[in-house]
Amino acid sequence: MISRLIDGVPRRALVLLGLLLAGLLVAPLVVDAYILSILILVLYFAYTGQAWNVMMGFAGQLSLGHSLYVGIAAYTAAALYVHFGIGPWAGVLPAIAISMAAGLVIGFLAFRFGISGVYFALLTIAFAEFTRVGFDHFAWVNGSGGFFLPVTQQAASDPLNLRGSPTMFYYILLAVTVLAFLFCRWLLTGRIGYYWLAIREEPEAAQTLGINVFRYKMIAVAISSGMTALSGVFFAFYYNNLFPEQIFSMSRSIELILGPIIGGVGSLFGPILGAFVLTALAEVVTEIMHALGYEIPGIKQVFYGICLLAVIIYLPHGIWPPLRKRLGLEDRS
Amino acid sequence: MSSKITRRQFAASAAAGAAIVAGVAPFNIVRAQPKALKIGSIHPRSGFQAQLGIACQRGIDIAPRVLKQLGMGADVEIMNADTESNVDIARSRAEKLINDGANVLIGAFDSGQSAAIAQVAEQKGVPYIINVAAAPQITEQGYKFVFRNFPTAPMLVGDGLNLMKAVFEKSGITPKTAVFMHVNDTFGQAMAGAIKAMAPRFNLPFQIVETIAYDPQAKDLSVEIAKAKATGAEMVMPVTRLNDAILMVREMVKQRWEPKIVMSPGAPGFYENQFYKTLGKFSNYLITNVPWYNPRSSITQKLLDEFTKSYKNELFELNVGFSFEAVMVAVDAFNRAKSTDGKALADAIRLTKIDNHVMAGGTLQFNEKGQNVNIKSVTLQNLDQRPKVVLPLDIAEDNLLLPMPSWSKR
Repeated sequence: MISRLIDGVPRRALVLLGLLLAGLLVAPLVVDAYILSILILVLYFAYTGQAWNVMMGFAGQLSLGHSLYVGIAAYTAAALYVHFGIGPWAGVLPAIAISMAAGLVIGFLAFRFGISGVYFALLTIAFAEFTRVGFDHFAWVNGSGGFFLPVTQQAASDPLNLRGSPTMFYYILLAVTVLAFLFCRWLLTGRIGYYWLAIREEPEAAQTLGINVFRYKMIAVAISSGMTALSGVFFAFYYNNLFPEQIFSMSRSIELILGPIIGGVGSLFGPILGAFVLTALAEVVTEIMHALGYEIPGIKQVFYGICLLAVIIYLPHGIWPPLRKRLGLEDRS
Repeated sequence: MSSKITRRQFAASAAAGAAIVAGVAPFNIVRAQPKALKIGSIHPRSGFQAQLGIACQRGIDIAPRVLKQLGMGADVEIMNADTESNVDIARSRAEKLINDGANVLIGAFDSGQSAAIAQVAEQKGVPYIINVAAAPQITEQGYKFVFRNFPTAPMLVGDGLNLMKAVFEKSGITPKTAVFMHVNDTFGQAMAGAIKAMAPRFNLPFQIVETIAYDPQAKDLSVEIAKAKATGAEMVMPVTRLNDAILMVREMVKQRWEPKIVMSPGAPGFYENQFYKTLGKFSNYLITNVPWYNPRSSITQKLLDEFTKSYKNELFELNVGFSFEAVMVAVDAFNRAKSTDGKALADAIRLTKIDNHVMAGGTLQFNEKGQNVNIKSVTLQNLDQRPKVVLPLDIAEDNLLLPMPSWSKR
């Protein structure tokens, strides 16, 4: 198992990964609360971007409605907690199951009837949108008025109920991001990963070679939506309030996929790098402007736009693939 | 070369990584001792709520100057942060402000963002004064450092419906039928739900014969207005944003539909600057029941003068007023507490009692949950192409004029 994960990975890449992981592990001990909150955002987008990457980067299915899975899972776990006292770790299972079911319904409708490309993307947007409208009227979770989780003030963190300090949330998020990274590496290096790549590059050819395209696309959707669901549960318990207009919005879906697009769609490290570039560097830009005496609301959005433009023009495969080449970290397998 | 990594190599790289992070860490924890009251103003100044967040910011920016004129001067430093209309950013920006030494936070216009900020403020023991955000749950969490000087959604709707009855009584015109038209977004849905739930308790004299919801992105409301006109209702109850409010009135003029009363139970649109600029004389006589500034208050007059000097082309409205009052509460508490300590400030805010202030209603003070329950809505009628308070009578600027004159006779 471990050998499958690291086979073909240059030693330098492992050392750099070790450095990064060590840095992230000790970060909460040395950085202040603000930087910690930025790191939480970075990890959140890195993890969710990785989940989206399974569907788009690995299997080639463009989803522009991933906020659907975040929202459904967030509401499921939150409602179970508020209405029935079911803790988040128990609630995460039905949350994942419902999100996966939603993903499978969309996948079935699309793949069974040959919907692909932009039409598949439109289908994912449509599902996210009508779910948002549905939740706007869903009185059980207070509709558009917002669903609030009770916030308790406690001295010690309670990881079992996901109640506690940002440091606790940080380590949980770091753990799931690392696990997601390893899981995706495991998927990519196995048969399923090769099937996905074949489907992504040329579905007809893959079908001719005997790959059950429908089945493997469905597996990609299930895994991606299930992984995304976990970030929804995290969102619910970290922010403690959910509004359909915010959590299911199209802009949130776009926000989730910007990281992998800028980092490098289809690459394992792309979503992580993209999240760092967009979230952390955008904060740095804001701070630099502030230090120079300029207070420009919206400067981050301008930065996002410039990043996207630059990546599309100069690095159409994202930042990571050329960077990886330059650093001599290319897979040798 | 072997591709395997040894345990020793991994440990070495881990230690090096830790050293790098530890090496830069001291730069992040340098902090100066506050000498003045540092107020962290946190609002959506970019993104889809930017326009409203900027309006709040104006109230914050002019507050120190006005308070100085009122003899409530204190050494105040305003620190600004932009939530980008996003709940994630709101939370991290609140952390940043506190990190940079903010003693009090004020914000954040939106309920979701305000709720996220409230958690940070409570964790850090920094008082947070909500200037605008209506979700009642925020002050139901048992927080000790969170205060809200803005009505909750049920307070807004309750006041709006009560004032309707007052308008009928004062004008002598009581409609028997009404059409309820609302924008189909979070706010519109929330208002629709609240009205549906609360209306029976208020014994309203009219029957809602039709409820018409429309898309917030609508570019044309001709069908909706035709449908509303066909009901023959005597009153229109609109819950709008700005753009759809303009579309709605334009269409009413075009279709020559002249109900006796157009009265919003509490929504933006009719009292906004752009509404008057776009519709001119057709903006007149429309009514909104909404929390508003008290035009008879001496503080309001001073604030209005300063606002007009600073922002010649902008309208002085409720976001400005509530934001100013939030700074007033913070400065008042600071002057009494004589400290920037979070607990001392929170204790002082809890004992706030300001009789003479800007917004309509009773004494500015907070209950045990941190909510100001004394805020009252007023009835605004557009007269001379600006909003004027017509009810309650003790603070009215002008007389209520109903029924609305015909569109063609203006």
